[in-house]
Amino acid sequence: MAKENPAKEQAAKDKRRWRVSRRGFLIGLGVVGGGLALGWRFGLPAARLGIANGLEEGGAPGGAEVSPDLWFEVNPDNTVSLYLMKVEMGQGVHTALAQLAAEELELPFENLQVIPASTARGIEDGFGTGGSTTISSLFTPLREGAATLRLMLQAKAAEKWSVEPDNLVAMNGSFFKQANPEETMTYAEAAQGVSDWEIPKDKPELKGIREFAVIGQPMQRVDFTEKLTGRAVYGYDARVDGMLYGAVARPPRFTATLKQASEGTARAVKGVVDVVIEDDFAGVVATSRGAAYRGLEALELDWDLGETYQQADIDALTQVRPGEGVVVQKEGRVAAKLKSATSIRAEYHSPMAAHAHLEPQAALVEVRSDRVIAQVSTQSPQLVRDEIAEALKRKKEDVEVTATYLGGGFGRRLNVEVAVEAARLSQAIGKPVHIGWNRSEEFRHGYVRPPTHSVLEAALDETGKIQAIRHELASGDVAFPFLPAFLSTIFGADFGAWRGGRFHYEGIENREVLSQRVKLPLKTGWWRGLGLLANTFAIESFMDELAHASGQDALEFRLRHLSASDHNQRLKRVLESAAEAAAWGTTLAEGRAHGIACSTDTKTVCAQVAEVSIEESKVRVHKITTAIDPGLIVNPDGVKAQTQGAIVFGLSSTFFEKLTIQDSQFAPQNFDTYPLITMKETPEIEVILRQSGEEPFGMGEPPLGPVAAAVANAVFALTGQRLRSLPLTLS
Amino acid sequence: MDLKINDQFYSSQAEPSDMLLWVIRDELGLTGTKFGCGAGICGACTIHVDGVAMRSCVTPAAAAEGKAITTVEGLATTQDDSERLHPVQEAFIEAQVPQCAWCMNGQMMTALAFLQANPKPSDDEITAAMGNNYCRCGCYVRIKVAVARAAELMEQANG
Ligand code: FES
Ligand code: FES
Repeated sequence: MAKENPAKEQAAKDKRRWRVSRRGFLIGLGVVGGGLALGWRFGLPAARLGIANGLEEGGAPGGAEVSPDLWFEVNPDNTVSLYLMKVEMGQGVHTALAQLAAEELELPFENLQVIPASTARGIEDGFGTGGSTTISSLFTPLREGAATLRLMLQAKAAEKWSVEPDNLVAMNGSFFKQANPEETMTYAEAAQGVSDWEIPKDKPELKGIREFAVIGQPMQRVDFTEKLTGRAVYGYDARVDGMLYGAVARPPRFTATLKQASEGTARAVKGVVDVVIEDDFAGVVATSRGAAYRGLEALELDWDLGETYQQADIDALTQVRPGEGVVVQKEGRVAAKLKSATSIRAEYHSPMAAHAHLEPQAALVEVRSDRVIAQVSTQSPQLVRDEIAEALKRKKEDVEVTATYLGGGFGRRLNVEVAVEAARLSQAIGKPVHIGWNRSEEFRHGYVRPPTHSVLEAALDETGKIQAIRHELASGDVAFPFLPAFLSTIFGADFGAWRGGRFHYEGIENREVLSQRVKLPLKTGWWRGLGLLANTFAIESFMDELAHASGQDALEFRLRHLSASDHNQRLKRVLESAAEAAAWGTTLAEGRAHGIACSTDTKTVCAQVAEVSIEESKVRVHKITTAIDPGLIVNPDGVKAQTQGAIVFGLSSTFFEKLTIQDSQFAPQNFDTYPLITMKETPEIEVILRQSGEEPFGMGEPPLGPVAAAVANAVFALTGQRLRSLPLTLS
Repeated sequence: MDLKINDQFYSSQAEPSDMLLWVIRDELGLTGTKFGCGAGICGACTIHVDGVAMRSCVTPAAAAEGKAITTVEGLATTQDDSERLHPVQEAFIEAQVPQCAWCMNGQMMTALAFLQANPKPSDDEITAAMGNNYCRCGCYVRIKVAVARAAELMEQANG
């Protein structure tokens, strides 16, 4: 197992300065003991790369004003640290990234430590951690960087030994001479005392997948000892001497705005240290969280309540308006085919839902005269830095944000409110302030998964093959609220809303998908998988309806609509694997039935078979058998864990989760009125891993896709009842 | 008031009615005990008071006065200068249970109190005992495996 994250000791390290070198690499200056720090940026616009190359010629004195996206440091104890701004929120990325790096470094896995960087280290990562993209986006650059580092060390080792670099072999963090394997030099020794580092001219050759020794192994997670002993620091756990606790006044409705605020008797509340009232913002700082909340209650707040909305209003708005959507998929001629044939039509709904990450959002912010230091549970440390800088009118460079471990993300922590709140309070009172939301604030004052409505229509030919199919979907916003307004005009349709909403069955000649925007009076946004769950529920339930309507087996029906393309063949393989493992088509025990569904997300294909029964007039899921192909697999056990977790997450939505409003307020305040799935309702889950190709695709979200449809389809097979709304409820 | 936590005495300024969770986390700095709901529903805040699993977010400090509190920080022991994990912690690592791990304090503390009372549980008994602890990341399949494994490890440890 790799070392525990020594972030705390590292936090004292100075901001490193960098010299730009060849191929966009950056060499760190002033490394203690003459070691080596090697960083790089990717995705630089061509113009800036040009500047970087120009600087190399001129040799910008004292380091240029650039900073890497991530970097390695070779430490004196022959470990290597990898600094990067990818957040560990449970998905195991630090482990998988360590595998990628260790592979090309020829370093024992346990000698590689991943260190989550803070914005203070100059790292830029505007994207944040999300969208199941971490491993796929870093797969090649990280290995190239690691290989480059190894070659640089190899060159210096060769110099020290006065031999040709080609005569050396790298293994287990050391070099040895081919001619004399007895004599070794560690990486740290090779780096010792060197200051004239040079980047190799050409890109290094990377290992082929057959040569992998670390990638593809089921590595143990690197963060568990820390987490299971209570030492790991999450945003809610962040502490600093002299810190106080803050709480912020919340509107009684999502439509309300603060007209006027005064201190009332808040200062008289025991433990209250200060009251902060600015424009539309009122908060209390106290010696304990309890006192801060009691202080809030003693404020005098005058709210303009705004309009009154009920759940029925939201439902009425969430409707497909036929023909009004933006086309997001169009193959062949759907309209003509649907007109000329008798078609089958069905509608599906999904409700709003909460993220319910178990650690509510939290931040510790210390506003000082020279800089601002923040520790935040966030998926987007750079965004948080920018937001704090803007709110406090400080320079971005003076704001340091460290993303702590996160107690779940699920899209909610791509945009957090709490950091700016703590920053405002800290700024006002001149002391470090911690704010951790309570559960009621989480349920009522954030953005939620949008409600959706899908209308599907298809025509079959006389052999039961789909001639044409159309999906019209209406959804509240997912990505749009977070993008600059002009982008919504360019995109036309919200890519978050239609994620998973297109037909991946390439054997259907005529298919069309239209996505329309539902403007709601409340905030909706990112949620694990975005539209994937709702859209797959609609499409895969509908596929099942078509199969049954024409008397075809649900598996065969799907297979016959697949093409010979690589993607469709991968889909075929997972469908067949899941079906075979679940013994699809065989007779099950009395009172049990199977349902099947599949999805594609970030090119990862996944199929699931659900086995259900009815107990005490409720659906009980006994087993989910799933086959998943995420391309190349970096950490098989990590992929398994993500698959199991996503299925349970999806089952929670399938059976329990429904967020409603009343009088312009979200109804639930805690889990008593918004229960989550527990171990009692969790079925057996069998995961079959299928691997393909030479690059990894996404894993954090894709297996969430099929589960609701697989269960609903099984319920139909068992009872003849077609359930077209989530959460599933038998009538 | 004085509180005994993991065999150490702490003096606290807390009011007797303050909930133990915040005394332990915020005042005394033992942040391994987590907050999830504050209403006794999720189980993230589970601690032991005289060996009994309690939800510290709804347990007033007064209820622990003069009793022995155990938190997750008290599970591992030190032997020959190195840390020895508790069998429950070992089992959770062996089964590679956690994802974000925010719930895991509660899962382990609940499991431990349960296994102390029922050292050889059936699968159904495990589900019943663990069925009131939320894990939003959905680690239930592995939690179940780990609790069964912890029972074995604890039996071995007790010889
Ligand atoms: S925080 Fe105590 S039960 Fe949820
Ligand atoms: S591991 Fe994240 S809540 Fe359980």
